[in-house]
Amino acid sequence: MKNLVVFIPLIPLLAASYIGVLHLFSVLDGEKSERITARMANYAIGLSCLLALALLGTDLFSQNNDVLIVGEWLNVNDLSIQLRFFTHGFSLKLAALFSILLFIVTRFAVNYMHREAGFHRFFFVLSLFSAAMLMLVLSANTVGTFIGWEIAGLCSYLLIGYMYDRQTATQNATRVFITNRIGDAGFVAGIGLGYLWLGNTNWLEMGELANPLSNQQAELCAFCFALAAFVKSAQLPFTPWLARAMEGPTPSSAIFYGSVMIHAGVYLLFLIQPLLAHAPLVSMLIAIVGLFTAIYATVVGLTQTDIKSSLIFATSGQLGLLFLECGLGFWELAIWHLCAHATVRAYQLLTAPSLLVNVANNPIKPVNAYLAKNTRFYTYALQRFWLEPLTDLIIVKPIQNLASDLNYFDRHILDNLMGSPAPAIRAISSLAQAKEQQIGAHLNNNENSFAQGSGFAGKITQWTADILDWFESRFILRGVSKDAIDYGKRLGRICQSCELMLLKPRYLALFVFITLLVAF
Amino acid sequence: MNILSTLLWTPAFGALLLAFISYKNIRLIRSIAYLSTIFAFLLSCKLLLDFDSSNVDLQFFEYQSLNPKMGSSYALGVDGLSLPMVVLATLLTCISLIASYTINERVKGYHICLLMLEFGMLGVFLAQDWAVFYIFWEVTLIPLFFLIDRWGGKRRHAASLNFVLYTMGGSIFMLISLIAAYEYVPEHVSLMQAMTAVSENMPKDEQVWVLLGFLIGFGVKMPIFPLHGWLPLAHVEAPSPVSILLSGVLLKMGAYGLIRAIVMLPAAAQTLQPLLIFLALFGMIYGGLLAWRQSDLKAMVAYSSVSHLGIVLLGIACLNQRGLTGAVLQMTAHGLIAGALFLLVGLLYERTHTRDIQDYSALIKVMPRFTFLTTIVLLAAMGLPGSVGFIAEFYALLGGFEKWGALMVFFSLSILISAAYSMRTIGLLFTGTTKPAMEKIADLNTHDTLAAGFLVLGIVFFGLLPASMIDLSLATITKMNDVIQLQIKPLT
Repeated sequence: MKNLVVFIPLIPLLAASYIGVLHLFSVLDGEKSERITARMANYAIGLSCLLALALLGTDLFSQNNDVLIVGEWLNVNDLSIQLRFFTHGFSLKLAALFSILLFIVTRFAVNYMHREAGFHRFFFVLSLFSAAMLMLVLSANTVGTFIGWEIAGLCSYLLIGYMYDRQTATQNATRVFITNRIGDAGFVAGIGLGYLWLGNTNWLEMGELANPLSNQQAELCAFCFALAAFVKSAQLPFTPWLARAMEGPTPSSAIFYGSVMIHAGVYLLFLIQPLLAHAPLVSMLIAIVGLFTAIYATVVGLTQTDIKSSLIFATSGQLGLLFLECGLGFWELAIWHLCAHATVRAYQLLTAPSLLVNVANNPIKPVNAYLAKNTRFYTYALQRFWLEPLTDLIIVKPIQNLASDLNYFDRHILDNLMGSPAPAIRAISSLAQAKEQQIGAHLNNNENSFAQGSGFAGKITQWTADILDWFESRFILRGVSKDAIDYGKRLGRICQSCELMLLKPRYLALFVFITLLVAF
Repeated sequence: MNILSTLLWTPAFGALLLAFISYKNIRLIRSIAYLSTIFAFLLSCKLLLDFDSSNVDLQFFEYQSLNPKMGSSYALGVDGLSLPMVVLATLLTCISLIASYTINERVKGYHICLLMLEFGMLGVFLAQDWAVFYIFWEVTLIPLFFLIDRWGGKRRHAASLNFVLYTMGGSIFMLISLIAAYEYVPEHVSLMQAMTAVSENMPKDEQVWVLLGFLIGFGVKMPIFPLHGWLPLAHVEAPSPVSILLSGVLLKMGAYGLIRAIVMLPAAAQTLQPLLIFLALFGMIYGGLLAWRQSDLKAMVAYSSVSHLGIVLLGIACLNQRGLTGAVLQMTAHGLIAGALFLLVGLLYERTHTRDIQDYSALIKVMPRFTFLTTIVLLAAMGLPGSVGFIAEFYALLGGFEKWGALMVFFSLSILISAAYSMRTIGLLFTGTTKPAMEKIADLNTHDTLAAGFLVLGIVFFGLLPASMIDLSLATITKMNDVIQLQIKPLT
């Protein structure tokens, strides 16, 4: 029975590849095939959901307290990464809850996305995301979780940039993705440190082995994972990405940032819970960050005027509370809080558009009295405490300047030395050149532009090639082949004339005569 | 009848059968040719399945004394070195026959020649007796001469004459070396296995001369740097199906023979090692730079063959396990890659009748399938990880590094050059502005795609899972390496 756990992430993955491949070859395209795509996505996640519930049921009765090891993915020296899944406990419960939410949102999106230009693309990404999320939750191996983690991040990028022809959408998508990479770096470092110090990449064994770890080691390892959790769950100072992520279609906002993916960070804290027991400093840090995030999000949320923003800051606030609970060690409370929050927030975000219609004429609630009085504080909150411009100033700007310096170095020094790639030289700069190339005539440049190098290295290559080419054509091709044949022919002609001469009667007679002379 | 004999004589039998069929019955001719090559391919696949890769001895050995006084015999057998070549030969013959549907004149003669060529190639790789090896070596020459001379391009007469003169000239040196070595075999037999005893009895300086003779003989075919004069012309002028065989299999005959010769005379090889490594590295850079200069697509592929076969020579010259593995792998890798490249270039030429790379542009719009396959093959030619070319180059590089260290910088240089012309070819063929002449070209049809796709699949498959290919030859390579180390150890 527990073997079925493999299929929970696998089925949505198959659906995603089915939709993706057929859409790529234009088999699924346009309004006509919307039904097939929608059905495929719904059946897949529905089936996963049923499987997860069934497994949960058996788990409740039989308490199968172990993990399922499917096989080995990678084996290098003593590093062995296994494909293993949780079949028990909180992970399975969360998988069941998430799959229900995913199913609901997928069903909701069928009508919501109807006749949208990217209908098939949307369901492809959504199915892929379902697979990634369920993989993240169910994998009992750090690497497996990380794979789900990354794919979920990629799907988030793809759906924020769903309207890729709009500049804000693509900009926001890129910004969110890059911010998330910081967390990914933390995750990878955590896996690496865990393997280095504990020699293992499985969640459960990592927890069991954490005992002999020195305090600093445990703190550092826990911090790396906590960093990943901070970013994924939009804690301070990474909170602003969440607001930018609202650019995607509503169902995706609901499932990614309202209920499922945003909780991945909290779930990660659950996974490293035994490690955190050895790392009091990091636990404290988590609590503090959670507290500040909760305060920050509440204050900023009070000044928001559009429904999606206020909902998302409310989410942020609740997540801050969740982190606070985890940091203080109220795990049981956090579990209930997480499940409840995921469900309620998904509902709120899904109903947000219709809510707007329903409350269209209601009077707007005035700003909180304290904020209204304190105008400076109000401005701070309205500007979201300048968190984003601050990041730009501290991190983005210096990196940009460094990049432009390096670019200068590349262009003025390296390119002159090594030469630039051919397409850069051949790039068309005017309409006349484009036309010229199109008709295949080279009007301005008389020399053959083929096999030309630029820069110091390029020129040396070109000259060497020229010399070798001369050598080849003069000696190898002409010298040996043609000239040798010519010489052979000439030699043959000389021999032939000798032969003819020898056959003339007078020489023949002379020859006979000499022979006789020698003989006697 | 034993499997090796069956495999060897199948193409010959097919050719004989064709001789009795009227030249007008083209369909029947083609189907008989197809049947016999496919049968040969299936036989070689069966060989592959039955082959025990952990066994270092010759397998499926057949022995029949031919001339007891001279000690020559009809001996066939395969080991980890020759088996990949046998499979490659039968596979590429199938592929080149599929590509031969464009040949519409003198079909009967063409197919007879092609089958005889396969017969000769299989004989070379299966023979376990130097006398038989030499005979088959010459057998390949005749059909190839006709194939180039009768069905080739504009300068086909010069090309075929050139090719035959070069190879004949080379094989004379090979023959002299063989006879010289034969004198020192105690039992006076020409079996390859018995001939390995030569190195114990022969004086050292004589060994060097004998190896030089082999080097010239096999070096012409392989080709090694100053002896490659026939290659550009022959490859360019040969009809494309023949180019596939020429560069895919026939060049490997030289490399294969050289490996056998070096196992026979390891001490001499050690003396000549500096020369070999120089020729290998120089040939790689030389071939690469000339390939970079060619605007003729076929000439470019031909010169890139010179460059890539330099890697084989380098691997052989290392005289260590990794180098030899690299050489053996590169033989297969280059067979697949060069075969696929010539096939694709030939198919393109059939559609546009120009080989000048500058005439092409933006083919991706009209030929997506062609673009996809060609790009993979060109990337594999430059040794991209994930393709079979990478595995072979990597092993050769490791072997070379073990022996010479910093000198391998020239190896990297030649890979860089090959990246330069591969990337340029991809850029010029597939991207850029559309040209009117390039707007109505048909994409690959089903059996073109199938033929090229099969090779590309092999390139990628063995690139991702190289273990199966390495294991096949590992035991034999280890044995050859042991023989070599045994001989060169006392000297160092």
